[in-house]
Amino acid sequence: MFTLPQKDFRAPTTCLGPTCTQDLGSSHGDDLEGECSRKLDQKLPELCGVGDPATISSDTSYLSSRGRMIKWFWDSAEEGYRTYHMDEYDEDKNPSGIINLGTSENKLCFDLLSWRLSQSDMQRVEPSLLQYADWRGHLFLREEVAKFLSFYCKSPVPLRPENVVVLNGGASLFSALATVLCEAGEAFLIPTPYYGAITQHMCLYGNVRLAYVYLDSEVTGLDTRPFQLTVEKLEMALREAHSEGIKVKGLILINPQNPLGDIYSLEELQEYLVFAKRLPDPQRTHVMWATSKDFGMSGLRFGTLYTENQDVATAVASLCRYHGLSGLVQYQMAQLLRDRDWINQVYLPENHARLKAAHTYVSEELRALGIPFLSRGAGFFIWVDLRKYLPKGTFEEEMLLWRRFLDNKVLLSFGKAFECKEPGWFRFVFSDQAHRLCLGMQRVRQVLAGKSQVAEDPRPSQSQEPSDQHSSGKHLKLWFSLGPPSLLLNKTRRVHMSPL
Amino acid sequence: MSHRSDTLPVPSGQRRGQVPRDHSIYIQLLEITLHLQQAMTEHFVQLTSRQGLSLEERRHTEAICEHEALLSRLICRMINLLQSGATSGLELQVPLPSEDSRGDVRYGQRAQLSGQPDPVPQLSDCEPAFVSRDLSNRGIDISVFYQSSFQDYNAYQKDKYHKDKNTLGFINLGTSENKLCMDLMTERLQQSDMNCIEDTLLQYPDWRGQPFLREEVARFLTYYCRAPTQLDPENVVVLNGYCSVFSALAMVLCDPGEGFLVPAPFYGGFAFSSRLYAKVELIPVHLESEVTVTNTHPFQLTVDKLEEALLEARLEGKKVRGLVLINPQNPLGDIYSPDSLMKYLEFAKRYNLHVIIDEIYMLSVFDESITFHSVLSMKSLPDSNRTHVIWGTSKDFGISGFRFGALYTHNKEVASAVSAFGYLHSISGIAQHKLCQLLQNTEWIDKVYLPTNCYRLREAHKYITAELKALEIPFHNRSSGLYVWINLKKYLDPCTFEEERLLYCRFLKNKLLLSCGKTYMCKEPGWFRLIFADELPRLKLAMRRFCDVLQEQKEALIVKQLEDAMRE
Repeated sequence: MFTLPQKDFRAPTTCLGPTCTQDLGSSHGDDLEGECSRKLDQKLPELCGVGDPATISSDTSYLSSRGRMIKWFWDSAEEGYRTYHMDEYDEDKNPSGIINLGTSENKLCFDLLSWRLSQSDMQRVEPSLLQYADWRGHLFLREEVAKFLSFYCKSPVPLRPENVVVLNGGASLFSALATVLCEAGEAFLIPTPYYGAITQHMCLYGNVRLAYVYLDSEVTGLDTRPFQLTVEKLEMALREAHSEGIKVKGLILINPQNPLGDIYSLEELQEYLVFAKRLPDPQRTHVMWATSKDFGMSGLRFGTLYTENQDVATAVASLCRYHGLSGLVQYQMAQLLRDRDWINQVYLPENHARLKAAHTYVSEELRALGIPFLSRGAGFFIWVDLRKYLPKGTFEEEMLLWRRFLDNKVLLSFGKAFECKEPGWFRFVFSDQAHRLCLGMQRVRQVLAGKSQVAEDPRPSQSQEPSDQHSSGKHLKLWFSLGPPSLLLNKTRRVHMSPL
Repeated sequence: MSHRSDTLPVPSGQRRGQVPRDHSIYIQLLEITLHLQQAMTEHFVQLTSRQGLSLEERRHTEAICEHEALLSRLICRMINLLQSGATSGLELQVPLPSEDSRGDVRYGQRAQLSGQPDPVPQLSDCEPAFVSRDLSNRGIDISVFYQSSFQDYNAYQKDKYHKDKNTLGFINLGTSENKLCMDLMTERLQQSDMNCIEDTLLQYPDWRGQPFLREEVARFLTYYCRAPTQLDPENVVVLNGYCSVFSALAMVLCDPGEGFLVPAPFYGGFAFSSRLYAKVELIPVHLESEVTVTNTHPFQLTVDKLEEALLEARLEGKKVRGLVLINPQNPLGDIYSPDSLMKYLEFAKRYNLHVIIDEIYMLSVFDESITFHSVLSMKSLPDSNRTHVIWGTSKDFGISGFRFGALYTHNKEVASAVSAFGYLHSISGIAQHKLCQLLQNTEWIDKVYLPTNCYRLREAHKYITAELKALEIPFHNRSSGLYVWINLKKYLDPCTFEEERLLYCRFLKNKLLLSCGKTYMCKEPGWFRLIFADELPRLKLAMRRFCDVLQEQKEALIVKQLEDAMRE
């Protein structure tokens, strides 16, 4: 999913519905941050070539007021994506086209996947697959998902197909959960920086907001690593939201974290769950997983919810009529997930080896440039600290640097899109074919070379790479690398899954 | 953070919002029951949280949980009854986009209650209603609405008729699916051109739909709708089903509480779609079965009726943003002539109304003497920027499980706003490829699929109408779609929606699923929609059950009349 020059996911949040009147972002940021984002807002219409929502005249529009906001949002958020699609790099046809290191997609294993998906067991067509079915997803697929998650998440007891709901992607799942768990205008806590597109998924239909738990790169107090999430920070954000009159209904955790690549330890996870228990509502835990990242098939549109709460499962299923997935594709997914031998012996080892090679290449490049970065062995991106290239350290400069990368035909994602508190962080996606990756990094170097005159005091590298400490928990690592792009953690009354 | 009492969830809390308006006994009872329910839930939480580890204690806890389930089912039923009692006397209030967070939910509910309390009458009232302390109020609303609408359908899914394995299972003549050409479709979809796995199919798509598919849809519609000029792929948005398209359109054309005019009876799924997410009201333009001087054929739609409905809605303070037309009509099977279509469009233009035209049955016209005219075939549209066409493959190709719907609109602003919903309603790249291949092969469609499909539809229609004639049951639809609209008024005494519901339940008890007129917001009780696009053996068995039920009903009526006579 793309998180581009979104001006600010805030705008639609504030205007989508009649109930949302507060500016969520600035109510949570400190003054400096508020100041920065205000500046950014003023600058953006010019930068992105779309009008400010306030300037869109309702007289000339064919749309409803929420329709106008949705359109404005779409036009602006998709701008970078569109620029890329109009000028995509191609080795032969368009060698000067844009290289995309911004979209979180794994392009390293298409050969394996297309081979697997072309096998004869995938081509089954039968009437029941072509007709209306159980909106929760075909039973054969839900059974397979339950088995798959039981195995890879190492659940102590087998997971049950009744607790599985299948939808067309993680975005739909965020949308449906937000709608059935919150009233319009209520909020979820989310640690920042985070995968920014969630904001849109939560608010498009649901008009649910996010209350940020801001994390810092500086290691202070009890923190043992940059951007560490602690229960104190969660408590503080919750208190702040309450004092703003915002009703917080849950907590969203992404594990492995996007964009940080952090993996929560079981102890940490336990602490966060205990914290969540004290939210106003009785607690519930809902786990999301999808094939977009772990199987590099974002175009396949398959996402799944696992929740022991039948009320939630039923409510989400009520919306599945709108988020259904073709029966034929459901069949193929079941075949894929069932094929444990291929996954374990072919796909996962190969995928991990390729990811590791690409990761090594990019991190060495960055180290050679003296650029600090964070990457803790999960995901396919590196969270890069380019603060030294911003003389004033503002979000405006961050945006300008992002533009400069784009002008030099390399697309990245900037920290503001992840609601990072500190200007200057960028996410580099490294899961691409070697030749594209090399060219992309070369273009990055060019931009930074033309700009690095301000660099004076290169910070010590904060690199925390996958080290052997993780190999002791190989299974753990496996779960996490297969972990959902998002673990949506919400009110849990009975069982605390760890994670499942 | 301590547990704050003011934030304790009140189940079905949105209903409390109605309390100050009317202090009828029902409302007071309702409030007390809600309190009782909350107290009970808390009590059980306390009971069960004390659980120990021994087997006996666990058994004890299980028993408590069973009691809890039983009690909450009972209370839920009470709440449901009270709610229907509490709101039955309320006039539909002027819908205002509400300021408080629950307003839109409450509004949707009120509209539902006054217009149509029960989208599909339920088999039995014993099923637990849905009240949960984990969901938001709108989550509860969505769940309740879904369960009441799909309860019987779900029962069917679990107990489907099978000629060998389950001869006593349900036969479904209620869901509009074409099962007549499964052999052709299965064969076509198994051909080698369907199986293609490419990088681009597995990556994030263009959220409006893959360009190759949108191009194919534009070509397909140009050809089959006989568009005067080539349609533009840029005006096409592809989503996973036409309900999704309708839902997205309702979102971007209306604000919560605003409405669309829809000639009734109309496809009940729209009421569902407009309510779940968009909170848009569908305002029925009631049509009548009786033929009069102005009503030259049954259920005729005229501009006068549209004008009248619009005026009435405006007097009630409703903001009407558009008109929804279904052509070929569902459930009537009517096809609008180009002249009438033009009149409806001109009416809409006069009042700056959007027109959403659902042409999902456009290739299912089986009467060869009748020509379907798509709105896209018109040389000039009165207001092309406010005319939006929906089509999909579910009905015409009988592949409702494929999840494909398309929007065609000349309005770039609308296309762009609807595109944003691609995030939430996208189709798998692999399925997009198959759809593209399917639509591309017009030779197969023209020479094999359509002639066969039309022939089979015609034959099934012939069979079903002969049966109905033999039973002297009046029906509507001689030309298109997968259904006939039948009048069972004479089996109702008195002729009320309650009796209609009871007859529906009688069908259901005999394992026959039909849809009743109430679901289509029909003004007159006694109408049912019967799907005939099913294989003959199943259809025959269904008709046998149908006759049995009517016989039973007839006997019950005689007994009732006798009893009444004796009492007098």
